Amino acid sequence: MSAINLTTQKIGANEVAVLTFDLPGEKVNKLSTPVMSELRTHVEKLKSSAYKMVIFKSAKPRIFIAGADIEQIRQLKTKDQVIKAVSQGQEIMNMIEDLPMPTMALVTGACAGGGCEMILACDYRIASDDSATRIGLPETQLGILPGFGGCVRLPRVVGLQAALDIILAGKLLNAKKAQKIGLVDFMIHPNLIESFAAQQVEKIISDGAKKRRKTFEPRGLVGKVLEGPLKFVVFSKAKEGVLKATKGHYPAPLAALEVVKKTYGLSDRTKALEIEREHFADCAVTDISKNLIHVFYLTEMVKKQTGVSSASVKGKPVKHLGVLGAGTMGGGIAYVAADKGIDVRVKDISIDANAKALKHARDLWQKLAKKKVIDSYQFTQKMSLVSTTVDFSGFKNIDLTVEAIIEDMAIKQKVIGQTAAQMRDDAIIVTNTSSLSVNEIAKGHPRPQNFAGMHFFSPVHKMPLVEVIRGEKSSDETISTVFELAKKMGKMPVVVKDGPGFLVNRLLLPYMAEAAFLLAEGMSVEKVDQIFVNQFGMPMGPFELMDSVGLDVCVKVLNIFKKAYPERVEMPALMEKLEKNKTRHGQKTNLGYYKYSDGRKGEVDQAVYTELGLVTPTNPYTEQECIERCVFAMVNECCLALDQDRIVETPNEVDLAMIMGTGFPPFRGGLTKYADTLGAEYIKNQLDKYANERKANRLKPSAKLVERAQKKMTFYSSNDV
Amino acid sequence: MSSQPKTARDVVIVEGVRTPFAKSGTKLKTVHAALLGQAALKELIARANLNVDVVDEVIIGNTGSPSDAVNISRVVALNSGVPMKVSAMTVHRNCASALEAITTGFERIKSGTMDTVLAGGTENMSQMPLIVPPAISSIIERLGSAKTTPAKLAALWAWFRADLSQIKEMVTTAPMAKTKYKPIIALVEGLTDPFVGMNMGMTAEVIAKEFNIGRREQDEYALRSHQKAVASRAKLAEELTPFYLPPDYKETLTEDSGPREGQTIEALTKLKPFFDKNTGTITAGNSCPITDGAAMMLLMSREKAESLGYKPLARIRGYGYAGLEPERMGMGPAYSTPVALRRAGVSMKEIGLVELNEAFAAQVMACQKAFDSDEFGKKQGLPGKIGELRSEILNVNGGAIALGHPVGATGTRLVLTLMKEMRRRHVEFGLATLCIGGGQGGSVIIENEG
Repeated sequence: MSAINLTTQKIGANEVAVLTFDLPGEKVNKLSTPVMSELRTHVEKLKSSAYKMVIFKSAKPRIFIAGADIEQIRQLKTKDQVIKAVSQGQEIMNMIEDLPMPTMALVTGACAGGGCEMILACDYRIASDDSATRIGLPETQLGILPGFGGCVRLPRVVGLQAALDIILAGKLLNAKKAQKIGLVDFMIHPNLIESFAAQQVEKIISDGAKKRRKTFEPRGLVGKVLEGPLKFVVFSKAKEGVLKATKGHYPAPLAALEVVKKTYGLSDRTKALEIEREHFADCAVTDISKNLIHVFYLTEMVKKQTGVSSASVKGKPVKHLGVLGAGTMGGGIAYVAADKGIDVRVKDISIDANAKALKHARDLWQKLAKKKVIDSYQFTQKMSLVSTTVDFSGFKNIDLTVEAIIEDMAIKQKVIGQTAAQMRDDAIIVTNTSSLSVNEIAKGHPRPQNFAGMHFFSPVHKMPLVEVIRGEKSSDETISTVFELAKKMGKMPVVVKDGPGFLVNRLLLPYMAEAAFLLAEGMSVEKVDQIFVNQFGMPMGPFELMDSVGLDVCVKVLNIFKKAYPERVEMPALMEKLEKNKTRHGQKTNLGYYKYSDGRKGEVDQAVYTELGLVTPTNPYTEQECIERCVFAMVNECCLALDQDRIVETPNEVDLAMIMGTGFPPFRGGLTKYADTLGAEYIKNQLDKYANERKANRLKPSAKLVERAQKKMTFYSSNDV
Repeated sequence: MSSQPKTARDVVIVEGVRTPFAKSGTKLKTVHAALLGQAALKELIARANLNVDVVDEVIIGNTGSPSDAVNISRVVALNSGVPMKVSAMTVHRNCASALEAITTGFERIKSGTMDTVLAGGTENMSQMPLIVPPAISSIIERLGSAKTTPAKLAALWAWFRADLSQIKEMVTTAPMAKTKYKPIIALVEGLTDPFVGMNMGMTAEVIAKEFNIGRREQDEYALRSHQKAVASRAKLAEELTPFYLPPDYKETLTEDSGPREGQTIEALTKLKPFFDKNTGTITAGNSCPITDGAAMMLLMSREKAESLGYKPLARIRGYGYAGLEPERMGMGPAYSTPVALRRAGVSMKEIGLVELNEAFAAQVMACQKAFDSDEFGKKQGLPGKIGELRSEILNVNGGAIALGHPVGATGTRLVLTLMKEMRRRHVEFGLATLCIGGGQGGSVIIENEG
């Protein structure tokens, strides 16, 4: 079976060739090596044919070409291998561009990466305005860059600014935007695209069947200047933007920028593509790219999962969501659900509390409206989905309620019992607890099979992770319903077992506590945070993180850990001390390690040192020690959570959870992927060293880490992705 | 005669709820009427735990017809989560629009055509527009269609001169006087009878004089309306849902803003007659204020309600509308009530509670006189008087003089307040009635189900 079918079509008096992509047995079309060689054969044949035009289209519903085969890219280990593969691809795109007759691509659905590069090699492009249509070059998100001529052709077609916008961020555009910037010539209803294309073909042929190399024409003086003499301003602005967004941890966008800079306006195609190829190869062989592909696979994995092993279990649809508690978490959950079209009813004990949830949601949508992400009608529709109550009115209509009230076992159990009595028997309740036992809370529910944990991370609208905590009595249907709901809310769910801190907080707390010890030992807040942000690549340092979680919450959870694992958990004295100052609980009190105003972080509050009885920080440790002590503390705990308690089943889930829940640097591939690059033995030895040198029992390698070190085990086997 | 067996096709009220009412130009002035309606309708659906898939139609009264939501019922329905498949219509019978919503729903259900109707009304009188007068709009049209530069310049010049005339008129004429160039105030036009050209206040003056109702009596009536409404705050709260005020939600309305705790007869006496400066008695104090608010109700056939496990609150027994001279529109209830009573098979003596909309104190008191008059009854072709309308059972929780009268929503508010109070007092039959601008009256008779 072939992936590309060549047929002919009679348009008017003319014979036109049609290349239809239809990869057998797959939902999507990919430009894998076999498909590419098939494409080459077809194009070679067409070159010497008498067809007046060639049309490229897809037979897949709502898919054009999703891109190159990522797995093949990941398997390429050496630069030579990469260069060989890429130059073949570039060559085929050149052949398409050089066909003697005009070419036209009809795009419906995803047209990404190599797919987009292929249509850029065509003379004419028509997109359907189907909602699935997405055209763009997402390569930089995978740590590589467009390598089949995309870096060279896109700027020529749409101009420098629009092209950099797409390439550097790895963006995909809908049909409307693609037409607006000139990436496609027309946007047509899917039902009319064929007949419209036929008309265009006739017109092009009757006009002499000319080839066309579309070149961007900047509009207005500013446009002309920026695309011409002042293009260096565009480049330096773009570089600034990339560095700000990536803190220099992601080389691919910078490499892509280099390619565009060197090739823009270059008439020598061979030379230009050689530059693109070189930079592509440099990026493709890096660990960063492999790690980003790994993360991509992790997210794809979640899309396919249902949260339970049995394929016959189906989650129930959640049309109406209840939220108990209108605080930061409750308000955030209400916003995210309503944003995805779910009707939400928030219940708190007072009108004032409810008003805060409404304001939280409205402010976020207002921002989107201001940026024109949504229009005023969508704004009203979304806002209309959120209602509030101080009693249980409307709860019989609710399919699932998220409890997000105060972290108090007795109160939670009581409220969950009351809520269950006000809901239908088949309705589900989940708790958003971050620290309490889900199995224990479940005792408050008369039908614990309809109960589970659903742990969102703060701020809810930004953090993609949801821990779905499977209680001992949670039914498969419940877990699957919660899992699907999380996905519908645009989140990444990971199913975890009950246990102190579940997965993410269990790993994160030793990390935050270790940072507190660093502070006690003379490191400064600024220095430690700056090391983790700039060197390690975390979105925020441990102290800022503690402020955002809330110092009271940190201490509370640490205490729960200490109770559970008295032998290895140590409470930093200074955290306890800080917690006692009720005005210094972090962002929510506008004061923590940092000062805050209007929710924005300010400077480190220098008074914190004296308040803690610390001398002026001397920053006695190396960056390496700071990073290793904090991060290895996580790895240490991870071995126990994974190998001993089986909180999750695979390292995949650890890495996904840490990236999506804490912003662990994606370019490092996740916590266990990172640990694998260093090796268990090294980590064990370093921890031993720190435990001795710093007299820190808590850092002693755990039994499971020691085991891994002895057996030289890695979390992932070398075949894993 | 008055007791009727329960039947499957009885039309029952399952639940009702409204927003707090606020005087126009105050707290709710920036809130679109559709959003007011949505707040009430969403809460109604929640309170009834209604599966919205069973709704057959949404019928909502509104008189202002906001230009960006002309069939406002559909806008309210969709934003309240009513499914797309459910039809929605807006009804307009002036002050009785939201009563019309209920009686239209009644007919739909009684006939067997439908089983479940969401009925109500919403109005934002603060947002009734200023309209560009024809003298100016014709110039703007001319400008739009001008083809040549000289023609465009000429139109612009004409517009400029018209604007100057407008400013001059604004300065030199009375605020509400209609002139050639001043913007037309939709609210003023709406409150002016289009047949006889008389402002609603003037129609009340006609009645006050005709029935010889003095200033003092009217002011005392108005004072009682405030006192009763203030005393009934807790009771009225039961029919309200809080309205969270966007965009900051710093404030939430939990009660009607109209009733004045400290209202005094002295304060009322000081007010000057608004419509007839010389011999008039109608003041802003003894009339209802223009107001913003919404009220919604769930109507069902008895069989549908029972099949869904609902316990109805009231049964609608019958209704009637009747016309009269537009300049005496305030007497409307005295014309429509006999019709409704006859259709309901209930006598006025059996009515234990009445909500008669207080457009003007004079008009309410004149209606009381007419109800009790054999002569008036006979003129309507009745054997004698309609029946006494005792003050003790009339507007016991205050009326529109205190609570306000959002024109398109009041009809439902009256039935809602009536129904809730009937249940508190275990009254069997109640009458909700109002006068209608343009010269009509509307009345509904309901029966307590609990």
